Amino acid sequence: MTKNFQSDLFNFLLKNGVENFIGVPDSTLKKFIDEGLKKKKILISTREEEAIGIAVGMSLSKSKSLVFMQNAGFANSLSTITSLVQLYGIPLIFLIGWRGYLPNDAPEHEKIGKIQPELIKNLGLISKIVTEKNWKDSCLWALKQNSKNLACGLIIRREFVD
Amino acid sequence: MLIRKKAMKIIVNEIGNEIIISANGFISRDLFNVCDKENNFYMIGSMGLASSISLGIAIKKPKNQIFVFDGDGNILMNFGSLVTIGSIKPKNLVHIVFDNSRHASTGGQPTNSKFIKIEKIAQKCNYSHVFRVQNEQEIIKVLKKIKAISGPIMILIKINHGGKIGNRIEIPPIEIKQRFMTNLEKT
Repeated sequence: MTKNFQSDLFNFLLKNGVENFIGVPDSTLKKFIDEGLKKKKILISTREEEAIGIAVGMSLSKSKSLVFMQNAGFANSLSTITSLVQLYGIPLIFLIGWRGYLPNDAPEHEKIGKIQPELIKNLGLISKIVTEKNWKDSCLWALKQNSKNLACGLIIRREFVD
Repeated sequence: MLIRKKAMKIIVNEIGNEIIISANGFISRDLFNVCDKENNFYMIGSMGLASSISLGIAIKKPKNQIFVFDGDGNILMNFGSLVTIGSIKPKNLVHIVFDNSRHASTGGQPTNSKFIKIEKIAQKCNYSHVFRVQNEQEIIKVLKKIKAISGPIMILIKINHGGKIGNRIEIPPIEIKQRFMTNLEKT
């Protein structure tokens, strides 16, 4: 099942200055998003690119932002990441749910799940896989990248089948 | 009907030194050539997202009026933005759409905006006020009118396709961002 560390992850980022959490829901990230909804800090957009656009506007206003999405939405976002986030040097955190991590996940996730690590690497998006053990260090790492005006990814693996 | 550059000149003369987020392609190029200033954010890639970037700024800077210079091709690519803007209802957002029913920057191919009324959809999405204008007098009148009303406001300007292609934006993207942010911080 999804681990409880996700609500701690949310609260830790909130406490450390991330003010905006924008995105499109993903079941892998359910507990993170639920915690944010409880705190009334979540903005749900219609598409992932739109979420990134809103987050960029907030970042231009010097307000720290995180964008959450499933890896299907990450695939939707490639051009926005290259031609907006990276082009202008906008410091954002991308929290991405990794569908297709398990070989027996649903068929529509299989291909993107398989190519995801290579895709992120080719994109030049620095990232870390977040686990129950390393979540706090991963957050601190992400915040440090942002302070250098770099966008980065935090990836959560889908380790259950429903 | 006017060409885009002429319509844009009328607007920037009327609104003065306001924050403008401009859509990619000829819209940003025209704005750069007509009236370059530090509080213009030229979005040169990421087609469709000018209104989303503006929404993010409008939420965080509620005391500033934020103008979006959008195009029909751009907003048609990100129609969901109207839903999100209409759900949040930022009072300080003025969404201007230059509608020539063309993808002008890619060679003038048609868009489907001639079959639908974008401003009517914005109205259904909770925009407080929407306007459809096409000549100089109407543009000036509506810009005076919006000074006394709350947003989100959409002004759709029907324009003619054509005009000389504006020069490319000469400022590197990082610099566009930096000067925009420095200026925004001061406001």
